[in-house]
Amino acid sequence: MATSTEAPKTVTLTTSDNADIQVEREVAERSILIKNLLEDLGGDSNEAIPIPNVNEAVMKKVLEWCEQHRKDPPASQDDDSDSRKKSTDIDEWDQKFMQVDQEMLFEIILAANYLDIKALLDVGCKTVANMIKGKSPDEIRKTFNIQNDFTPEEEDQIRRENEWAEDR
Amino acid sequence: MATRPSFATLPTEILQAIFQHLPPPSLMSVSRTSKSIKTIADAPVIWRQYCLTHFKSWSAHHNIESKFAGPLSDVDWRALFISRINTEKDTRRLLGKVLESQQGRIRYINDIAEFGYDAKETLLAECACPDDVEDVLARRYYANAVLERIQREMAIHVWRDISRGKDFPLEKALAAFDIFTRPGADVDFDIITQDLDHLANSILREYPNFKDLNTRNKAFTLASFMRSQGFKGVPDSSYRSLRNSFIGLALRSPNHESLPLISAGIYCSLASRLGLDARPCGYLYHVYVLVYAPPNHTLDGEYKPSSSSHLAYMYVDPFKSSEEASEAALRTVLREMGVPSSEHSTFMSDTSTREMALRTARNIMNSVQADRQAGNGIHSSWLNAVPDMDNAFYSALWAMMMLGPSEDGGLSNTSTRRRAYLPYLLEHFQTHYPWDVTLLEQHIIPLFYSQPEGQRLLTFVHSMHTLDSTRKPVKYRTEREKGVKFKVGQLFKHRRYNYEGVITGWDTHCDAGEEWIQHMGVDTLSRGREQSFYHVLVCDKSIRYVAEENISPLSNSSTSDSPIHPSEAMLHLAGRHFKRWDSDKCLFVSNVRDEYPDD
Repeated sequence: MATSTEAPKTVTLTTSDNADIQVEREVAERSILIKNLLEDLGGDSNEAIPIPNVNEAVMKKVLEWCEQHRKDPPASQDDDSDSRKKSTDIDEWDQKFMQVDQEMLFEIILAANYLDIKALLDVGCKTVANMIKGKSPDEIRKTFNIQNDFTPEEEDQIRRENEWAEDR
Repeated sequence: MATRPSFATLPTEILQAIFQHLPPPSLMSVSRTSKSIKTIADAPVIWRQYCLTHFKSWSAHHNIESKFAGPLSDVDWRALFISRINTEKDTRRLLGKVLESQQGRIRYINDIAEFGYDAKETLLAECACPDDVEDVLARRYYANAVLERIQREMAIHVWRDISRGKDFPLEKALAAFDIFTRPGADVDFDIITQDLDHLANSILREYPNFKDLNTRNKAFTLASFMRSQGFKGVPDSSYRSLRNSFIGLALRSPNHESLPLISAGIYCSLASRLGLDARPCGYLYHVYVLVYAPPNHTLDGEYKPSSSSHLAYMYVDPFKSSEEASEAALRTVLREMGVPSSEHSTFMSDTSTREMALRTARNIMNSVQADRQAGNGIHSSWLNAVPDMDNAFYSALWAMMMLGPSEDGGLSNTSTRRRAYLPYLLEHFQTHYPWDVTLLEQHIIPLFYSQPEGQRLLTFVHSMHTLDSTRKPVKYRTEREKGVKFKVGQLFKHRRYNYEGVITGWDTHCDAGEEWIQHMGVDTLSRGREQSFYHVLVCDKSIRYVAEENISPLSNSSTSDSPIHPSEAMLHLAGRHFKRWDSDKCLFVSNVRDEYPDD
């Protein structure tokens, strides 16, 4: 059992570009993947943990988020109350945190998915959802650089299918 | 080096997670951007999630809980979601029709009612529309009226099914009175079921070994648990209070006031969740609970094989105490009341769900009658009464009709009693709920097919539909009507009785029948029967017909500083005929212009 005088335990993570990052164990364990790995390795292994899917820049960003949210309560098992909420509200700190270029945003989302950090994945998805909201198909294509591969006839067809969603 | 991530290259499950956060129109927009994205946006998992997050209330026919619990691919979730969105739109459109004119109003109300609980959330939203909506009073009034109509039908179906012999949990038969009487977001069969589940689970948490107890200890533990949670019946002083007959109110209210019947109902409902065989016992003027041991066991849990199907039993009175009630004492009381011992078994054995619902209906009637005798004069105290007395009385009448009054048995007796209740039911129906005409057709008329009332009811219903579908005769103000002093929408005090009311219509002279004119002594009025007469809506919910000389209009006067404002009760009721209160003109804004275009 760690006492307050003892220095907090740290772990070393090795990123895809071979950088070693030292971080407090509690912070790293926001990632369920890392938490499980550490448990599997058993107690006090000092080995560096390889994270082959995430590079240093992204990992640092992710750990910044983990640091900020280190004391958050774990996601509740009772998913139901969560899933019935449809809000895309994001708290202020997270909003600022997510003000990055698109590439970094997607990198963070992919990393959160890989590292199994549900709350961060959620914030990332909501951020992208907010970028889509209120935009026309053309604006969305421009925002995300999507190639339109529909023929005009197909476009018409889809528009008709979607009429129910208009003027609510 | 890995390719740089872009939107289109994100894994499918991540795109789906993103899409689940989008409102439907945005999902439609994004699905129009490219073929591969459209495929992802069409995924059932997203539409299932939409169904889950957008709608709380579902009409029973969807069987939604089992759909959500079942395999994803069993349901066309996209089609289901779209159909619900369309229902929402249809509800709004039909409500618009209801508000637009008096013509076809009953039809449109019933069209919405067909949607059942699928319309509930839309109607609740309309009930809560902001104060500055142009037709705020009418909108709230009719949205609430339709919701009540939907809930009444659900309750009626429960009672009908019980009378046909279908087996229902006791709490559902009792909850039907809540559903019938109290519209609202927090009133629902599911909510009452959940409240009971929640209580049962707390017992198990507090007594983890409950299931291992013997019957006697289970019975005692359950009764004392209920008392510890505040379920202690009700003191004599408020015994007759109407609210005590409603299981949903008893479960939710801070003091859990309830009549013995409801206490017993809650006890038995909890028992059935905990694997204890407890049934209500319809004693004289009181409901006890009969607790049975499992076959071949004593109440103390000993194995005692028996060739008969007889079960060991004990009496409990959760209304009064957590102790066993003595059978001998119960029998003594019966003897003292002069009940012959041959009839004791009627009062000492367990009773049916149907009988419990009927007793509840009688209890409600007694409470309402006591209240009506106590209250005198015309007032608006109904506004803060929970539950509403008229709704409650109406629920009791319907329950009696559907379940058939049963004391003394005998078919002829049943029909006599039904015929006795009919005028009361019709009176409530005509005054407060004329849009229940379809319920009348479906459920009441068949009960009277072989009676003289049957034909009369059919004619009556037919004429209501005809009246509803025809345009109201228009009453213009020409030279002849110049004498009619007050306008539709005028707030007034009755000169003699001092009650608050609002004018909803007028005649140039007293247009009631000769009998009414005689009975009311119209000719003794100083201006007699030839003066203008007004149809008025009164703050106590009544509809009256008043001579002009008795109308004392309430208007902003230069002598008084405080502006005139209608009472809360009047604002509630006015929605039936008016759009909103115009404080500048000191008038209700008419919603019956189709009938009185010049007012």
